[in-house]
Amino acid sequence: MSVPIVIFSIDDTRGTLLQKVLQHNGLQSKLIKRNFELGTVLSKRVPSIVVFDTKDYYSRDFAYLRNICSTYPLATVIALAEDSNVPVLIEIGVRDDLCVREPFNPDLTLAKVKELVFIKNKAHLKVKTYLALIYHLIVGEKDNPYIVFIKKVLTVIALLLSSVVGIAGGFTIWSLSDLPKIQQLEDYSPLETSSVYSTDGKQLGEFFYVHRKTIPYYKIPPHVKDSFLAVEDARFYEHKGIDFYRIGGAFLENIRSKGYSQGASTITQQLAKMLFLKPEKNLSRKIKEAVLSLQIESRYTKDEILGIYLNQAFFGARSYGVEAAAQTYFGKKTEDLSVADAALLAALPKAPSFYSPFKNPSGCLTRRNLVLKMMLNRGYINDDKYKAALAEPLPTEMERPAYKSSYFLDYLKNHLEKQIGEKLFTSGLKIQSTMDSAMQDAAEKAIKKGIETLTRNGDKNLQAALLAVDIKTGGVRAMVGGIDYSTSVFNRVTQAMRQPGSAFKPFVYLAAFKEGYTPNDVIMDREVTYFSKEGGVPWTPQNYTHRFYGNVTLRTAISSSLNGATIYLANKIGMNKVIDAARSTGITSPIYPHLPAAIGVSELTLSELVYAYATLASGTAKRPIFYTTIKDKNDVTIETDGLGEVKVIDDGIVTFVKDVLRSVVEHGTAKAAQSIGRPVYGKTGTTDNYTDAWFVGFDDHLAVGVWVGKDDNKPLKEDSSGSAVALPIWIDFMKSVVNK
Amino acid sequence: MTDNVENNKTIENKISDIKVTDTRVHEKQKELESGPIGLDIGTTNIVVARNRAGAPITMKQLNAFFAIPKSKLTARILSQNDVMYFAKNGQFYIIGNSSEEFANTFNTETRRPIESGLISPREDDGMNVIQALIKSLLQPPKKQGEPVCFSIPGDPIDGNSSVLYHESIIKRALDAMGYKPISINEGFAVVLSELQGENYTGLGISMGGGMCNICLSYLSVPVFSFSIRKGGDYIDTMVGRTVGEPATLIKTIKEKDLNLLREPSNRIETSLQIYYNELINYVVHSIQQVMASSDRMPRLSKPVPIVLSGGTAVVTGVKELFEKALKTARLPIQISGVRIASDPLNTTAKGALTMAVSEEN
Repeated sequence: MSVPIVIFSIDDTRGTLLQKVLQHNGLQSKLIKRNFELGTVLSKRVPSIVVFDTKDYYSRDFAYLRNICSTYPLATVIALAEDSNVPVLIEIGVRDDLCVREPFNPDLTLAKVKELVFIKNKAHLKVKTYLALIYHLIVGEKDNPYIVFIKKVLTVIALLLSSVVGIAGGFTIWSLSDLPKIQQLEDYSPLETSSVYSTDGKQLGEFFYVHRKTIPYYKIPPHVKDSFLAVEDARFYEHKGIDFYRIGGAFLENIRSKGYSQGASTITQQLAKMLFLKPEKNLSRKIKEAVLSLQIESRYTKDEILGIYLNQAFFGARSYGVEAAAQTYFGKKTEDLSVADAALLAALPKAPSFYSPFKNPSGCLTRRNLVLKMMLNRGYINDDKYKAALAEPLPTEMERPAYKSSYFLDYLKNHLEKQIGEKLFTSGLKIQSTMDSAMQDAAEKAIKKGIETLTRNGDKNLQAALLAVDIKTGGVRAMVGGIDYSTSVFNRVTQAMRQPGSAFKPFVYLAAFKEGYTPNDVIMDREVTYFSKEGGVPWTPQNYTHRFYGNVTLRTAISSSLNGATIYLANKIGMNKVIDAARSTGITSPIYPHLPAAIGVSELTLSELVYAYATLASGTAKRPIFYTTIKDKNDVTIETDGLGEVKVIDDGIVTFVKDVLRSVVEHGTAKAAQSIGRPVYGKTGTTDNYTDAWFVGFDDHLAVGVWVGKDDNKPLKEDSSGSAVALPIWIDFMKSVVNK
Repeated sequence: MTDNVENNKTIENKISDIKVTDTRVHEKQKELESGPIGLDIGTTNIVVARNRAGAPITMKQLNAFFAIPKSKLTARILSQNDVMYFAKNGQFYIIGNSSEEFANTFNTETRRPIESGLISPREDDGMNVIQALIKSLLQPPKKQGEPVCFSIPGDPIDGNSSVLYHESIIKRALDAMGYKPISINEGFAVVLSELQGENYTGLGISMGGGMCNICLSYLSVPVFSFSIRKGGDYIDTMVGRTVGEPATLIKTIKEKDLNLLREPSNRIETSLQIYYNELINYVVHSIQQVMASSDRMPRLSKPVPIVLSGGTAVVTGVKELFEKALKTARLPIQISGVRIASDPLNTTAKGALTMAVSEEN
């Protein structure tokens, strides 16, 4: 029974220090730092020794101490005090020899406590007994001949053992002189698939060289782990990296079969081989494999080892790791795999190509069922689950995720590959794109519906493209580069150079407004023949309706898409001003520096045109933005993209442009767009012989362009104007977007 | 004060940007190996210590950064060369070891998030850099509340700076990453790392780049701790000024083959010896001053050892200079000997790890 000791000190450091000193000498004590605590403790159990530290004690008459001395006469008090306080303490009842004077002296205090404990415990009696006993046992038997003999035997054994250890050590050092550094595993960072996400958080697609998604160990369901353990290493959790029991079994089996029929590699050994060693078969590699396995086991937990193994193993079809394999063979996540699925995956690493369910279904089925049988035998599954799993069919074709937005992803991939190189395919990046998957769905549906209608009406081999961009940010919200990516990867948004026709006219009017014109100013719409200075053929432009309207306002000229008035205006202000105006909105393709360019004979891309319209809508410069952030696999942002606010068109002129483009919808060639039910602005475009049909426009948030035509530049059906062919698709899309 | 509040907001925003949490982690935490972590956030380096198979292993990054204007070309080059960086406010912040190579290439100096041992008031993005560096050294915790013990300096005796802000802001950052942060005085960490055989009794002195931290521990109880805001950087700067050479050059010479015991062969070595002497005498006399004025100073019957650690203590001859300086000082305790820590650059992190392990138990 130990002597109860209480230390009371208001000073935390001194109190703790004293307690530690006592503890270090085998004396347990209770440290009290507050008066009221002291009262509580004493009321429960009276201590034998109280060490009372008076430093910083607020009460100079030591009322509590007085109380202890008078109420508990059996408790002995040691007081730590300034020399000047000692008389008061003696008067209270503390013994003079138990007053430890400042400065603070923990060793002296300890000595006092030990002395008290020694006396209170009567330990001196016991100590004497023990000392006598030890003396006779050790010192007294020094010349005993039996002990001398045992000492000699022990010396010989020690010498033999050290020789064996020396030889074995030398051999090990020689064998392992070029052993790979296990520390490399600290930086285990396999090639990982990068993912692209839409603004609404959906995965749009993936970029990879090898298909791998690492999955934390704890997300792998037990039956998946069990299937691998059953077939690869049933005693995984019992051995230390090398399974000597299994080696013995395999040795006997191989002797019995007179050949190499059974291996004994543990999962740890397989991991060592996969990560560090060449696939050669010799004794040296086996030794290295064994040593590496032991090192891995000493450094990592079993769960970590199994986790790395399942993320590293090759399952065929470019798939590394169980998560990618689950996707490739079943289109599932690992956590959704059934017992039969897991057994099939466990069957694969031995020979992924040979046991592939797509190439060798019967061989695959046999091995999968063998895995199931082993799971049953080892008690991982019961008989019911075993039978149910046997009945499950094999997958018949590879699961490929049906990603939409293929044209967008294609463009993004090319763009980012130039920017960040092969990291795009290897580093598990998370790319937050600007794409809105709901808008993309709406765009694809609108194109599909529009093309089906036109095909039903007798036109063939049609192609179409749509691009929707955010006016504020320049972000691509939806992109359809053609009617079917699987048959043509040519992107008609970014790659197809087509004549825009009248869709180019807004740039003529932009140039005019910059020159001081207003939408109400009057210009001439009449038959004029223009002669080129270089002596080319004289040109007399015609209106779509083959008649002229005399004096018209700029607003009427554009809303009715009058070629005569537009060319009159372009001629008056000069084509160089028109080209400058187009360039200020971001058009970069070459523009023919003569009047026919005013009605859109110079080829450009849909992307250029839509971004130019986005600039018209806001007055600030725009360029395509495909992503907002790129994060690495640790979620650290490594790249961002966005626009600055660069004003290129004055607000007054933006108002004029919107005025005239609104009149196209209210009174002109795009009246049908009024059905959208909110203010929209835009312009139709139709080229000679109906080769290209366009509608490009915007509302307050989105700039959207639609093109319909044929890849071989053959004309569409008669009367397939922009307003008849492209506008309905545009309207359909805009309605879906607002209804969303 | 206002600055501090604004900094707090910025840092909080940043933390929320890069925080990664997965609630499913908690469900499975029992299956995972979870390990306590020791973290030394020094003026020069950030060092992380963890236990692997019973032995501590350490990883470090230079606690510095280098900002360059953002461009596509630069991003490509950085990515292709595996340079550690992050993008913010139109700039790329190249961090860690890579930053020094960049600074050398541009013939200029790296910027430091920590100045004289505390978060630099001159660097708005200092804490972001520290966070990114910590993230590069530490994976997110496998379970919520894994203990991370990080080092903090003692209160400086030669300045009016407080470590409270420094300590709190790092605590918040680690807390936001999902760890349970515990702070430890840097000098005490040296004691925990090096003085196990002496029952954690003795003087631990960490001589870093920005400051020197001193702690007297008795049986693992820190009796007093304090810091002085002079360290290796002070020597480099003063010598540089004296001989008219850049501090980085002085640092290189100092770290390469300086021997304080041999006869100096040129002006720079002479100057280095003078300022080393001055720093060591300053440390010893600060200890004398604190011991004399502390009312907690216990009377110790046995001599106690002194352990020196940190990058500034690595130079040959520091131990001997220290012993010499001790002879001129009158300390109320006896010193059994001076020794250099076994792994001076990682001592603090290892000591912090010892603390984190004890917290976990």
